[in-house]
Amino acid sequence: MSSWIVSAMVVLAIGVIGVRRRSVAIVLVGAQSLALSIGALELSSGRSGSFLVAAFVLLSKAALLPLLLYALMRRTREARLVVAAAGPLVRMAGAGMLALFAAIAVPPLGLGNAHTAHMAVALVLIGIAIVVARRPAFFQLLGLIVAENGVSLLAVSVPGGLSYVIELGALFDLGLIVTVAGVFALRIHSQLGTGDTELLRALRD
Amino acid sequence: MTSVAAVLAAGVPALPLFGAIAPLLARTPRQADRLALAVAFPTAAAALALAVIELAHGGALHGGWYLIDGASAVLLAVTATVGLCSVLASPAYLRAHREDASTTQRQPAWYYAALFVFWAALLAVPIVGNLAVVWLVVEATTAASALLVAFGGTRDALEAGWKYLVLTTLGLSVALLGIVVLAVEQTKAGHLGLGALDWHSLQSAAHTLPATPTLAAFVLLLAGLATKIGWAPVHNWLPDAHSEAPAPISAMLSAALLPSVLLVAWRVKEALQPSVGVATTRAVFVGFGLASIFVAVPFLWRSLPWKRLLAYSSLEHMGVIALGIGIGTPLAIAGVVLHIAGHALAKSLGFYAALPLLRDDKRAARQAPDGVAAQRRSTAAAMGVSLVALAGLPPSPLFVSELLILLAGVTAGELLVSAVALIGLALGFLGLLHALIESVIGGEAETTPKRLRLGSTRAMVALTSGFGGGLLALAATGMLLPGSGFIETLARGGL
Repeated sequence: MSSWIVSAMVVLAIGVIGVRRRSVAIVLVGAQSLALSIGALELSSGRSGSFLVAAFVLLSKAALLPLLLYALMRRTREARLVVAAAGPLVRMAGAGMLALFAAIAVPPLGLGNAHTAHMAVALVLIGIAIVVARRPAFFQLLGLIVAENGVSLLAVSVPGGLSYVIELGALFDLGLIVTVAGVFALRIHSQLGTGDTELLRALRD
Repeated sequence: MTSVAAVLAAGVPALPLFGAIAPLLARTPRQADRLALAVAFPTAAAALALAVIELAHGGALHGGWYLIDGASAVLLAVTATVGLCSVLASPAYLRAHREDASTTQRQPAWYYAALFVFWAALLAVPIVGNLAVVWLVVEATTAASALLVAFGGTRDALEAGWKYLVLTTLGLSVALLGIVVLAVEQTKAGHLGLGALDWHSLQSAAHTLPATPTLAAFVLLLAGLATKIGWAPVHNWLPDAHSEAPAPISAMLSAALLPSVLLVAWRVKEALQPSVGVATTRAVFVGFGLASIFVAVPFLWRSLPWKRLLAYSSLEHMGVIALGIGIGTPLAIAGVVLHIAGHALAKSLGFYAALPLLRDDKRAARQAPDGVAAQRRSTAAAMGVSLVALAGLPPSPLFVSELLILLAGVTAGELLVSAVALIGLALGFLGLLHALIESVIGGEAETTPKRLRLGSTRAMVALTSGFGGGLLALAATGMLLPGSGFIETLARGGL
């Protein structure tokens, strides 16, 4: 996969952790999923037909996911901005540091292309960072998708391709999790009047 | 026998999966209860039959997509029993829920649908013979059970469900990263396709896999699965989800889900050990085990609400099982098998006892119960049996299993590990004994004794007698396990 596509995916993830508006974040995650599917299609020449099917499924995901997220955003309008603990520049700098850490510290994972392997791990780490740094349930859901995109990047980059059964299964599971997380986001919003998960901190010992 | 096993292996998860539709056809909550029971009995019977067939067969039953060994049989029996009992206990929970909250007529149907999907996934975990497919199934358990955790509809239930969904999904993403790394190495070695990630393919190829990427895969897999098992320090969701979920679901989460995912971690260890090395796998499991025991102990000493106390006890017991798997000798494996079964019975009885406890005293959801024996003897008896068993007081099977694991540690040369674990277990024992005296036996009843429903008292007495008898039978069986062919086969680790 072209290294610029891989790098673009990481830049888009760093954008998700920094942006204020949910609509912009949806566009960034959609663009990231699209970049992944384009990269997969690029790799499909010389691979099995089933890999091509998997690449097209990734492309469908890139098209459907933003629509699903947009519908969820419309049904959970925020009356006021949910203020984050750290500013956007701090969050983005933190995410950049994670990407740098992945590039330096992650041992070789056996892929021919070390850059792709490092950036895939960086995406998983940035996905986790989005969940930690962003308070709205909606952004935490986007963090899960970014992390899954990181794993998918590694999966499509396996020489010869990972079994399409795994890729399709993982996509099905992602769909399931996004749906369930969407149900939660709706219920959190209807109960609290906001998607701010900081208000869900009663359970402590 | 193999063809019967193949049919049952497909039928066991398929029955509850299709059965999930049945309660949705119900017009009333009562009809949903009946339809759920109609599905639950054949599901449990099929799973128990499969477990018996495997135990009678001796060695592992292999098929194109399934692998059923002794550990699978134990997990199948446990999941079938707990699942059936949870379905039986659900009408009581749903009745109480209807009295407390504004619910719709359709809610019980959706509750059962999610429960059966969750049960189907749980039953599939010990059967599936492929690492990647089992990952998909474990991820499916998250989707179904997160909705059930939040079923109560309260703000706390929503918080617990959301935390559970997000943390375990992230953990499983990390585990998937490990699976992809393994797939890369298998592809390089010429093992292509989904079959390369079959348990036995992984084990037979492990000695040829390069050490560094395989170690990376092992660490990623274990770190990810640890989140789902609830091992310390990645256990944050566990006390919240177990305490806020409906009691029948808490029983399934603690008694069936945690050990099922632990079985996956066990199989990862067995499969990759030839490449990663015994010392490394042992260190990782023993590390998680000791951390879980010692993180749980301070909470077992605190005055916690009943279900929250049971949740922290789950953390401790998953630590004990990790310790046994880490030591890995036949004596330790005998302890592990006994501990999984004993913990399942004792813990689910404790969660079922929460049903009458919370129905009669709503404050018990937010504070430690007090003077239960003075008010509700049948509930106190169930709580007492559960606590005595979980504390590991003889003749509890958990006393026998913990003894076996500690002795195994000593004989394996892990004297320090055994000594540290013994201190942790002794502190945990005292904490639970303290809870037994303060919450169940002692303390003054703050409210006047209530007139109990005869049916619910009888059900509680029957449940306590059945589970108490089962625990005694397990303790007796535990004496016969060390040295048995069943344990020797399991300890050899053939997948």
